[in-house]
Amino acid sequence: MNDYIIEVKDLHKTFRLQDGGELHVLNGISTGIHKGEKIAVIGPSGSGKSTFLRCLNRMEEPTSGIISFKGEDITSPKCDIDHVRSKMCMVFQHFHLFPHLTVRKNLTLAPVELKLMNPDEADTRAKELLARVGLADKIDEWPDRLSGGQKQRVAIARALAMNPDVLLFDEPTSALDPEMIGEVLDVMKELADSGMTMYLVTHEMGFAHKVADRVLFIDKGIISEEGTPEEVFDDPKQPRTKEFLSKVLRR
Amino acid sequence: MTMRNKQTGAGRGDIVLGIFALFLLYALYSSGFFTAAAWQDFNRRFYQNFVKDSRYMMLVDGLKATIFMTSGATLIGLAVGLVLSVIRVAHKGGAHIPVLNAMAETYITVLRGTPAMVQLLIWNFTIFASARDLNTQYIAILAFGLNSGAYIAEIFRGGIESIDPGQMEAARSLGLSYGTSMKLIVLPQALRNIIPMLFNEFIALLKETSVAGYIGIDDLTRAGQNIQALTLEHSQPLVMVAIIYLVIVMCLTRFVRKLEEWLHRGRRG
Repeated sequence: MNDYIIEVKDLHKTFRLQDGGELHVLNGISTGIHKGEKIAVIGPSGSGKSTFLRCLNRMEEPTSGIISFKGEDITSPKCDIDHVRSKMCMVFQHFHLFPHLTVRKNLTLAPVELKLMNPDEADTRAKELLARVGLADKIDEWPDRLSGGQKQRVAIARALAMNPDVLLFDEPTSALDPEMIGEVLDVMKELADSGMTMYLVTHEMGFAHKVADRVLFIDKGIISEEGTPEEVFDDPKQPRTKEFLSKVLRR
Repeated sequence: MTMRNKQTGAGRGDIVLGIFALFLLYALYSSGFFTAAAWQDFNRRFYQNFVKDSRYMMLVDGLKATIFMTSGATLIGLAVGLVLSVIRVAHKGGAHIPVLNAMAETYITVLRGTPAMVQLLIWNFTIFASARDLNTQYIAILAFGLNSGAYIAEIFRGGIESIDPGQMEAARSLGLSYGTSMKLIVLPQALRNIIPMLFNEFIALLKETSVAGYIGIDDLTRAGQNIQALTLEHSQPLVMVAIIYLVIVMCLTRFVRKLEEWLHRGRRG
């Protein structure tokens, strides 16, 4: 009995290695996210947290397990994954703006191409969203002329242009210079406050503490601890969580 | 990325030309060229080789044949290269076409692994041996075109694979299909790298067609040899042929460099 918008059951992901061996990255993850919920996913590097996120919209193909989005099993071959992705957009560590298109075109291309909006609507929406992320004056700029923080804010606006139900953030501030992290977190905070459903893989513990409703600590491909930010950050139960937090919070 | 190592050597055009001219002047000086008698002799032979009986027209017609073959072969090469690269890129992108892919790979390996001239001879003297009324220029276009297709396929593939996979991921993550992402996001970026390399391929092909004389085509090189046979001259006709190739190649090279600058305008570092 639940009303999850995304539900994950016993998710496994195994990578085949060049030498014929296997790398078990996810070893049975079951969890879910409610509409409007913000979940921060933390864990040591190599723990599988990014792979988990990338399985949710099948950027990585899960080896086994079930992922359902609004009740539809998206791991089934019958699922129209392109449609699911247009409702579950992703923000990448390295932004991946389209460098051959202006900021405006970056925002309008997919909604127009997928016939979700006509060009005029998309254009109006692009202006709104750029104003929302504080970059209204950059609409006709080329991506290569923006700073890292500006690029990531455009990337968030590009995802929002699809009017998604869920946003997936894959370490959105990890590739940024320290002085630019704040401006991106501010945009994400505003998004969280507006009620967006968010999965956030991050190393920004302070931000996760402040914004998340729930925190997942992933280690060795399983959720080894889960709870409210207060429970996980202030009173961790698992020794592994304590060790990890003591390392990252010491700074 | 695989590249042909037969592109023009004229890297810094002006400096190279300058050194070349100095070297030539020194060679002429030391061989006593700047005496009145030698100069007269040079003029007389020049007249014999190029002016008398409008012999320069042999070079003009040869140049026409060379350009015709190069252009035709490039068009065939583009078509073949496009098909081959689509097969290889789609196979890597997850389309399950192992047989087609193996065929494309074999084609590329064989045609790149044997000399273009041997291929030309095989087409003319083996495959089309009995087609005596077929214009040999068309055989040459076919041979050079199919050969060039193998190189152009690698140019296309290399251009596409040089684009950050994150671009495809970002496009797919917005719900665009593989084909749409390829068409609107990856290919337009890849073309910036591909187009200059296609012109380089054209330049390489222009020089490569100089072996067409082996199957009896009066191309630019062969025209020079034909003049040699008429005038029994050993140097002037072929040096002239070399100069014509060099001028064309240097003009094209300069054009490609301008084109590259234009394609990458407005982009930082």
